Amino acid sequence: MAAGARFARAVRRAGPWLWLLPAMTVLVPFFLLPVAVLLRNSVYRDDPGALIVPDFVATNYLRIITDPYYADVFVNTLMVAFGVSFAALMIGYPFAYYLVRWAGRSRPFLLWAVYTPLIVSVIVRVFGWMVITADSGLINTALLSMGVIERPVRLLYEVAGMVIGLTHRYLPLMVLPLVNSMAKIDRALLAASVGLGAGAARTQLYVVLPLSIPGAVAGFQLVFAGVLSDFVLPNLMGTTRFRMLAPTIYDEAVANLSWATSAAMAIVMLLLVVAMLVCTNLALRRFAPWARTL
Amino acid sequence: MTGSGKGARRRLRATVPLGAYAALVCVFLLSPLVIAVALSFSSGEQLAFPPPGFSLRWYREALATEQFLTGVWVSTVIALATGAVSALGGTGAAIAINHFRFRGRALVQSFVLLPLSIPGVVVGLGILFALGMLGMKSGIAAAIAGHSVLGVPYVTYLVLATLSNYDLTLEQASLNLGAGRWLTFRRITLPLIAPGILAGAICAFLISFDNVALSIFLTRGDTLPLRLMQHIQFYANPGVAAVSSLLVAASLVVMLVLGRILRRRQIVGLAG
Repeated sequence: MAAGARFARAVRRAGPWLWLLPAMTVLVPFFLLPVAVLLRNSVYRDDPGALIVPDFVATNYLRIITDPYYADVFVNTLMVAFGVSFAALMIGYPFAYYLVRWAGRSRPFLLWAVYTPLIVSVIVRVFGWMVITADSGLINTALLSMGVIERPVRLLYEVAGMVIGLTHRYLPLMVLPLVNSMAKIDRALLAASVGLGAGAARTQLYVVLPLSIPGAVAGFQLVFAGVLSDFVLPNLMGTTRFRMLAPTIYDEAVANLSWATSAAMAIVMLLLVVAMLVCTNLALRRFAPWARTL
Repeated sequence: MTGSGKGARRRLRATVPLGAYAALVCVFLLSPLVIAVALSFSSGEQLAFPPPGFSLRWYREALATEQFLTGVWVSTVIALATGAVSALGGTGAAIAINHFRFRGRALVQSFVLLPLSIPGVVVGLGILFALGMLGMKSGIAAAIAGHSVLGVPYVTYLVLATLSNYDLTLEQASLNLGAGRWLTFRRITLPLIAPGILAGAICAFLISFDNVALSIFLTRGDTLPLRLMQHIQFYANPGVAAVSSLLVAASLVVMLVLGRILRRRQIVGLAG
């Protein structure tokens, strides 16, 4: 009897771990272990003969930060990440505002237009942009035939084309959190603001804007992290004269077999994402303390 | 009367420019998809737009291209397996987190959801380094495992959301009425969270089918997105457009199904 009760208790205590077993079978060997190996490789040493040799050195980190070839990659990528996040916020904010407050019957269509690109393969989206921005593509054909330009404007395989593609890829991830935060705003608050004598503009500035900050921050985090680690857009629409982080990591690891260097770069990429998340969350808590109560 | 008229006019003044702007953003969002589909009916060799004429030759060509066909096959196998593995792992993790109070629960929850906020390239490179230790080689199995790292948290997240408006007393009632744990799970728990599992599995399928960041490290370049990338880089002809339009059509169908499932979830939520 006592043994039976003990057995039952053991089963109850093992319960959650039994339920977790399938997830852990995937996540421990293919997530926890790889990240640990990545950290380890980042302090090992690249060797022309033996691929990678055990060591404990900071030279990989020092090199990717001080060598202009690698430092440029980080500077380029951070600039593009900030630029695209800012562009997505500027484009997405009025759109989300219209969608939530004014759209009425067209709202389902607008939401559909935001979701559809997310579900369609990214290669398809990039391909569409290549056709639009190519030298003989839609934009250049139109501008040439209208006589605005005399020779094609080079967009594809330049920073401009890549930024257009990146903005398109990540805009939905900015719009959706914004829509979410704006839809949560209580209409009674707006009525109260107007009732107390604030005009439409003041209500917008002092009620709607602060309450939509959490959505803007969430959108910024998604877009920034996405652009920082994007492989497809720089690879298909960008230029090798303006190198970006993810393709460079891939080249180092697979083409050059510099496992230690690429590991250090990947760890720095991870740290940049973590630093961005920590900073934005701290800023949110400091400047929009109401975020957590929403 | 005049007051409301003025209000309506002011409202109109504010909304017409904003509405035009919103329409413009929609054009921006949808134009690459429309253009890709339009180009697939081109009769020309180049990516030139507008196309010189109408033909279905690129569909014939795409359907005869060995690399695309094997790409579809490889990607489908990987995505189906990823969906299944993720559904299993994610559902189990969600039940463990939702139904039990145990030491380390908060830590487990953050750990399971962590892959969502880590760049795919970082995970992919890490798995590439670890494959040797695990006695594996790059290929379909490695890709399934890698994609499931992204799929498991998605399913966990969606099933947890379904469970949040789910009444645990239903299970208690079933147990009190004499149904065993297994029967209770199969007849009470599973039907109630099934929409969440299905939506999660479809998301995992889509993430896997479209994945590049992990596949470049874990496969031999034979999944459909990688084949399309190679094709774009080396040939740049409308053959990719034909495959693209088929993918757009498939995506719209998936979206319809997903929307229906998510709506059903709300109905279940209300009923529960």
